Amino acid sequence: MYIYRTGIRLIDEKKGGLSPGSNILILAPSMSSGERLGYSVARPAPGEYALILSTVMRAVDLLDFFSESRIDPSRIGIIDAVSKLSTPDISDSTQVRYVSSPSDLTGIGIKFSSMVESIFNGEFADSGDALFPPPVRFYIDSLTTLLMYRRLEVIYQFLHVVTAKLKKMDAIGIYALNNESFDEKTLSLIKQLMNVVIEIKNEQHGDFLRVRGLPGVTQEWVHFQITGEGLEVVI
Amino acid sequence: MIRTGILGIDEMLGSGIPKGSKVIFSLEPGVDGRPFIFRILRTVLSGGKNVLVIAPQATEKAFLSDFSRMMDANPGMGPGKMVILDSSVRERINTRLKGSRSRWKEWQKIIRETIGESGIEVLFVYFDLLYEDFGLEPALQLLPSGEEYRSLTTIVEHLNLEGDSLISGFASGGYFDLIISVHSNISSVPFFNFFTLEYVSWSRMPRRSVPYTVTDGTIRLYIPKIIVTGPPSSGKSTFVANASDSGLSVDRGDIDGFKTTVAMDLGWLHLRGFDITLFGTPGQPRFDPIIPQIIRNAMGIIMVIDATRPETLPRARELLTLAYSARIPVVVAVNKADLPHKMDERQVRQSLKLREAIPVLFISSLRRSDVHSVLESMIDHITRYSP
Repeated sequence: MYIYRTGIRLIDEKKGGLSPGSNILILAPSMSSGERLGYSVARPAPGEYALILSTVMRAVDLLDFFSESRIDPSRIGIIDAVSKLSTPDISDSTQVRYVSSPSDLTGIGIKFSSMVESIFNGEFADSGDALFPPPVRFYIDSLTTLLMYRRLEVIYQFLHVVTAKLKKMDAIGIYALNNESFDEKTLSLIKQLMNVVIEIKNEQHGDFLRVRGLPGVTQEWVHFQITGEGLEVVI
Repeated sequence: MIRTGILGIDEMLGSGIPKGSKVIFSLEPGVDGRPFIFRILRTVLSGGKNVLVIAPQATEKAFLSDFSRMMDANPGMGPGKMVILDSSVRERINTRLKGSRSRWKEWQKIIRETIGESGIEVLFVYFDLLYEDFGLEPALQLLPSGEEYRSLTTIVEHLNLEGDSLISGFASGGYFDLIISVHSNISSVPFFNFFTLEYVSWSRMPRRSVPYTVTDGTIRLYIPKIIVTGPPSSGKSTFVANASDSGLSVDRGDIDGFKTTVAMDLGWLHLRGFDITLFGTPGQPRFDPIIPQIIRNAMGIIMVIDATRPETLPRARELLTLAYSARIPVVVAVNKADLPHKMDERQVRQSLKLREAIPVLFISSLRRSDVHSVLESMIDHITRYSP
C-alpha cells in the first residue's frame, strides 16, 4: 500500500505517513501558520501530484508563493475560485482552472474531475518517477471560505462526495479551517468526515500543533515551525 | 417541440422536448453539465426563441464567457434574445431584504416580470442556490407554472448532492416532465460519462443509461458494442465492412477454400448522433465458447442469416440461444434477399422462435443503405428497449 509522508516527523516516524483515503483537517486560528502547514502537507513527494482548491489566493499569487517557497509547481494543479470574480474572461490552462466563485460547487466538482483526468492521462509534467495510479494530495484552502458562501449542510454533503472520490482514487485530502469562525456544532460535523485532525495554536513562544486521530501519536501540544524555504515542518 | 440540439437525445425523446415542459438535468458532483445546458441554450437561441437564464452562482460576464468559449458562439448572435439574472441579482436581493419569505417573493416578482416584459419562451435555471436559500419546495415553486405559463419551457440544472432519493422525489412529485441524471466515473481508467433518462412524462420510456463523450463542446452518444453474429457465410463480415466508416477483419482461408472470420470483425461508424462500435463474431461452431465473452457488455445483437440457405436456420437458432442469455435487443437481418430465395418472415420467426417485437428485415449486405436501415432499427430498439 502506498503511504503519503506528511513532512511532520511526529506522524511520519510513528506511522510512516498517512494511508490512501485519509482526510486531514487543519484547525487553526487566524494569523497562525495553519494554511502554510496545509501547503507543507500538500506538497507532492516525487512521483506524486497535488491539487489545490484556492478560495483565498489567486492562482498567480499562489504560483509566486510556490516559487518563493521553492516548491516545484510542475506537478501541482490549481482550481482558482477567486480570479474569475474580477477577470471573467480568464482562460483555463492544463494546470490552472478557474471557477466563477467559491459558491460554485458544480464548477469546483467539474474542474476537480477534469484535473484528475489530466493527471491520469499524463498531461502534467512527468518527472520520470511517475507512479500509477498517480498518488494525489488534494488541499482545500480553505473550508472557511466555502462555509461563508454555502450552508453547512451543503458543504457537508459536498465534502462527503469529495472524500468518497478521494478514497476511490487512493488520494488524500487536506482541509484548512479557521476554528475561531465557527461554532462547535459546525466543527464537529466537519470532523466526522476526517481521519486526522491537526489543531494549531499560536502562543508567545511560537506555533504549537496537536495531532488527533492517529493512535500511537502523542496528543500533546508540540512546538513547530515552518521554514521559509521548502515549507519544511520542524518540530 | 423544442429541440435540444443533441442528436441522440432528440432521437430518444421523439424529436425533442414538448413545448411547456419542465426538464431537470441532475448532475452528480464532478460531472460537467454545461455541454447539455449550453447546447440547448444555443439551439433555442438560434431557433429564434427568447430565453431567461437564472444563474445566481456566476456573474453575467463569467457566464457569457464560459458559454462563448464552450460553444464557440456569441450569445448575442440571435435571432433569439438572452436575459440573465446573475449573482448580482441575488446579492442585491439578499442585501436589501431580510427574511426568506420576502426574498422569495422578490425573486418571484423579478422572474415573472422578466418573462412578461421580454417575451421569454424558454427559462434556464441554475437551481442550487435557490434550493439552498429557500428549501426544495419553495424553490421549485419559483419555477412559473399554471395556465399563464403553459407555453414556457423550463430547463433546470442541479448539482445533486443527495443521490437517488432526490431524483425519486422529483419523479414521484410530478415536478418535472423529463428527468435526466448525468454521471461521471473518475474512479477508474478510462474515465467515462453517461446520462440516464430517469423519467419522461410524455412517453412510456423505460429508464436507461447511455454513455457519451464531449468533443469541442458537442455531445456524442456512443454505443460501445453491437454484436453482428450469424451462421457461417451468412455475410457478417460484409455487413460490418459496409456498415462502418472504418474497421478491420481477421479472416483466414478455410479448408474448402473460402475465407472465414477466425477472431472477429471490428467496425466503427457514426449514425444518428451515436458513435457505434460493431463486433462481428465468427460463425463456425468451434468458436462458440468465445461468443459469450464477446457478447458481454454488448448493447444489441444483429443476427445475420442467409435468405438462400434455410438449412442454416438451426445454427442461427443456436447462436441466438447463446445471445438470449444476455437479455439485450436483437434485430434479424435476412441477407442476400436480392438473390432468388423462398424464405419469408413467418418461416424466420418460427424457426428462430422470435418474439413479435424483434424486427426482421430482408436486406442485401452489399448495399450500404440496407445495412444502415438494420442499424437504425437497432438504435431504435436500443433507445426504446424494455426487456
